Amino acid sequence: MYEARRALASPVRNPRMAVVIGRLLGVAFIVCFGTGLYSHFLQDPLPWMRFPTRPASLYQVTQGTHIVAGIACFPLLLAKLYIVFPDLFQSPPVKSFLHLLERASIALFVGASLVQITIGLVNTYRWYPWPFPFREVHYALGWVLVGLLVLHIGIKLPIISRFWSGRAAAEHEATDAGSETATPADVEAVRLWGSRRPPGVTGRLIAWIDATPAVQLRTVTQTETKSLSRRGFLTTVGIACAAVVGLTAGQTFAPLDAANVFAPRKKGVGPQGVPVNRTAEQAKVTVSATAAGWLLTLAAGGVERSFSRAELEAMPQTEVELPIACVEGWSQLAVWRGVRLAELADLVGADPDAAFRLTSLEERGSFRQAEMGPEYVRDPLTLVALELNGETLDLQHGYPARMIAPGRPGVLQTKWLSRIEAITA
Amino acid sequence: MNTAGTTTALPESVDRRMRVARTALILTGTAGLLFGVYVLFDTVRIARLPGVALWIGAAIVLHDAVLAVLVFFCGILLRRAGRRVTGTIVLVVQGAIVVGSIMTLIVVPAIVAQSLAPTNPSLLPLDYGRNLALFWVAVALVATVWSALLYARSKRANQRPSSRQS
Repeated sequence: MYEARRALASPVRNPRMAVVIGRLLGVAFIVCFGTGLYSHFLQDPLPWMRFPTRPASLYQVTQGTHIVAGIACFPLLLAKLYIVFPDLFQSPPVKSFLHLLERASIALFVGASLVQITIGLVNTYRWYPWPFPFREVHYALGWVLVGLLVLHIGIKLPIISRFWSGRAAAEHEATDAGSETATPADVEAVRLWGSRRPPGVTGRLIAWIDATPAVQLRTVTQTETKSLSRRGFLTTVGIACAAVVGLTAGQTFAPLDAANVFAPRKKGVGPQGVPVNRTAEQAKVTVSATAAGWLLTLAAGGVERSFSRAELEAMPQTEVELPIACVEGWSQLAVWRGVRLAELADLVGADPDAAFRLTSLEERGSFRQAEMGPEYVRDPLTLVALELNGETLDLQHGYPARMIAPGRPGVLQTKWLSRIEAITA
Repeated sequence: MNTAGTTTALPESVDRRMRVARTALILTGTAGLLFGVYVLFDTVRIARLPGVALWIGAAIVLHDAVLAVLVFFCGILLRRAGRRVTGTIVLVVQGAIVVGSIMTLIVVPAIVAQSLAPTNPSLLPLDYGRNLALFWVAVALVATVWSALLYARSKRANQRPSSRQS
């Protein structure tokens, strides 16, 4: 074990670096957790919950940030694991029961973090190669991870506070000068082998790896080499983060669209210039949605009225510019035209405080029905949309009529509407 | 982290504050963790839970036994190969490989998913394989230019007598 630790020694593998990268990763985790929680409760609100409807791009921003921060976790998490990797070989492996718990919590933390960001990423590709339901597990792991993060901070707090500021860390290193020649590990090595290097093949291998090029010695001191490799490491992590974020975030943040070469969605790509999440074929509505007898039924407190598409078109039309923003992190600003939901609700005399249930023509699917709180029902931007970007709504976008409301996840913007009813409390 | 031998005596009040903060964090964290486990058991069918455990275990093994080992040997090769050039050039090459590899890690599942699901034309609409190849070319180009600049600089520095030699 000692040999492994010795061979893994590197100037970037130190507590200060673990704190520097750990802080960034911690922030990314908290951002993911917060935005994830918001998205979760938008879809599964507790009874008392009401949500802001402005800015209309709120969900676009929170969920776009969720995905961006999640992608940034890849370089950050790998960097963090690289820094602390030698700790895997600590000796003795377990010192006490508490130490065992600590190591078990770290193992779970590492494993769950890797699974969380991986299934999150692959979900944005709408590929599900795992043997469990994505949404439930992603949500539960969110709590597990935020708990483990706080626990981890608690366990490591003495190290974190000690190496929090760069100056304190540098002073600590200065007082430890000479640690290069006498770390506890080295003392142990001298005790074991009579020299700092293990004998035999391992020792020769390490000597071979460590042999410092002459050219370097003449111009650069040891301290400079160490600080150089630290800066090199941080620069690499920074560039990796910038690359993975910069080349994908264009799917939601318009200014980066030109740089979007790796995201699963591209702005403007899709029928009528808008990407599609669930196609009409997947939803099996190609027949029912194009049937001549389609009617939209509105119901509230025993009153029920049905409207054909022609009747809806004959009503006062409102045009709004709203983004459609998906849980998978892409979003697309578009112009929608249709009838205000509030006006339809008034036609059936719905209570102004009533929440609504929206039902799609879809016969199966977890988002066949969606509920909408009164703050959205009564919002002047909330439409039963009949047109998209100046054309009759495409079948893929929910023809004959779909919901569009400000600040809601795309899965709740029910397509292929068939029934809208007030929920009686 | 290895803190053995670096512990110094702290004033008692700081020590106590630290203990209180740690206890609070550890208790809060454990509560969050337990709530997450409860949600997991509450919302996911029992038959599916071994799958979750399997994935978490596999992730640990994959990282510790495969990825980390791979990185370790790449590091050895680079340090060996880097014996004749300045340290900074090794760092640039190392950085380029790391950046390219992480991007590959993220993009390869997209390429696989694209080949599996041709049902929705607006999903994964880009040529990810080509873009990834171009990305590697760009990374290699940047690394080459950067290394060349560093090489020229170190050569100049080595030609004049060092001011640092004692």
